[in-house]
Amino acid sequence: MKYIIGIGNYSMYDDSLGIRLIEYLEENNLVDGFKAIDLSGNALNIFSYLSESTDKIIIVDTARLDMEPGEYRFFSHEKVKTLKELSGITTHEGDMVKVLELAGKTGYHIPEIIFMGVEPEEIKSEVGLSEILESSLPEYGRVLLREIML
Amino acid sequence: MKKDINIDIHHLTRIEGHGNIKVNIKNGAVEECVWQVPEAPRFFEAMVKGRHYSEVARITSRICGICAIGHTLASVKATENALGIEITPQTAKLRSILKHAENFDSHIVHVGVLVAPDLLGAPSVFPLVATHGEVVKTVLRLKRLGHEWGSMIGGRTTHPTTVIPGGFAKLITTDELKILKDKILARVDDLTALVETIVSLASDIPVFDRPTEYVALHSDEEYGLYDGCIQTVMPDGSKEQFDVRDYKKVTNEWVSPNSTAKYTRHKLESYAAGALARFNNNYEQLHPEAKKIAEVLGMKPIIGNPYLNSAAQVVECAHSVHESIRLIDEILADGGIKEEGIVQPVKFSSGTGSTEVPRGILFHEYNYDENGFCIDGNCIIPTNQNHANIQADFDKLVPELLEADKSKEQMALALEMLVRAYDPCISCSTHYLNVEFVG
Repeated sequence: MKYIIGIGNYSMYDDSLGIRLIEYLEENNLVDGFKAIDLSGNALNIFSYLSESTDKIIIVDTARLDMEPGEYRFFSHEKVKTLKELSGITTHEGDMVKVLELAGKTGYHIPEIIFMGVEPEEIKSEVGLSEILESSLPEYGRVLLREIML
Repeated sequence: MKKDINIDIHHLTRIEGHGNIKVNIKNGAVEECVWQVPEAPRFFEAMVKGRHYSEVARITSRICGICAIGHTLASVKATENALGIEITPQTAKLRSILKHAENFDSHIVHVGVLVAPDLLGAPSVFPLVATHGEVVKTVLRLKRLGHEWGSMIGGRTTHPTTVIPGGFAKLITTDELKILKDKILARVDDLTALVETIVSLASDIPVFDRPTEYVALHSDEEYGLYDGCIQTVMPDGSKEQFDVRDYKKVTNEWVSPNSTAKYTRHKLESYAAGALARFNNNYEQLHPEAKKIAEVLGMKPIIGNPYLNSAAQVVECAHSVHESIRLIDEILADGGIKEEGIVQPVKFSSGTGSTEVPRGILFHEYNYDENGFCIDGNCIIPTNQNHANIQADFDKLVPELLEADKSKEQMALALEMLVRAYDPCISCSTHYLNVEFVG
């Protein structure tokens, strides 16, 4: 089984990109050959998808990558270390990189996991999405569909 | 003690969202002692205006990613109340099981990931992998159960998709219900192990007491979670009940200069909501297995120590497990899941709905026009209701800590643990990645 998993907060503007992309895939009937999961801020729920029957997971999230707003990059979780200064971990303040590290250390099966990080324009307390990210949803959808089938 | 202490904690860790603690003591006098919540207005009440009743819960479920099930349930209950919709017993039971899933899921994370590090002397759950590996693995297995439990009935736990006014858009099947029961039963030993760990740490839970009014849903038939009336209990044990539609007589929201979120008050200057409030108001309705755990923890109402909110959550986890198994058995004994149509509206007016979410009692109220479109709405969430009580606890606790000659670090930890005990869920948290490429 393959999964595309979106994470984010609906109320924090561009931080909602991951879950809005999941909505886009579902609303446009593009979910075929994989499952689209809205994890919102519940990063710890990824454990339900870390099983032997999982072939691949793409996690979609906004990411500070020193790129232009709207630009994106695919990368493996093994190729990065988190810069977020969290001394803990919560389901709300979920840092997926840390959660996957926790999963690995506690013996969970880690399938092939790719992040799709999208550079946000702005993260603020507001419902919505910046114009650059909103207009790029179809493109993000296309590259996701291509990547999940690889 | 005449000393100077300055505590300025920005972005308190191991809570859901952002909050600050500021304490300034000069020459032994408390000059400043503040719990700050820099929460911006969310405008969900504005967003539901003009929306058809079928859409409202989809919107309000997004008030919170943790308590999305609770918001969905409170929302559809308010809508059903406004539209004269009487749900079937099967729907009520399935919603209760779903509510238990959310409570269990959230409590396990709170106790096992957010609070446990404090009790085990670690800065986070990560060091505990090396020192208490089996405990961490147990917590993660229980967390996974909570997620799958809720997903099997709600479609997904975050912003559930199957709960709609009048019933379920998609029902769990009888076979799936049996699988759910087996999944829950398979984790009972894990829950027992977690309880034993908490019991072994119970003496490390700080001792603090402040006479507090506790507000929760209450029902004589079942522990107040999905349904009931509003009940308040005072420190002397006296109780008062209100119909859910009279919630404003209890909440009495007001604006404090210390917080962007409104405060609430009833008979005292503040009140508490959450697991301890439910425990104090519904002790007699606890499942016997949960009462056993309460007894082992030395807990019996009325408890006025907010630090024991986490212990009350452990008791509730046991209640949710055994109560859900009972409800599932009831459905199965009645022939399993029956296909039912969605109950339709018979009127369009105003309505109120309330349910308990992990952090406390939640209220939704809507007013619909004759075509079923929302004219206006009001939502009062439990974390808001607790802010004033946290402040009141601070106001009592800080002088006590000063009198006990606690160091700055000890004082800061005590205040952090107190806020964490309330399990606040503040909406402004973010999840974006911030990484450096190393490979």
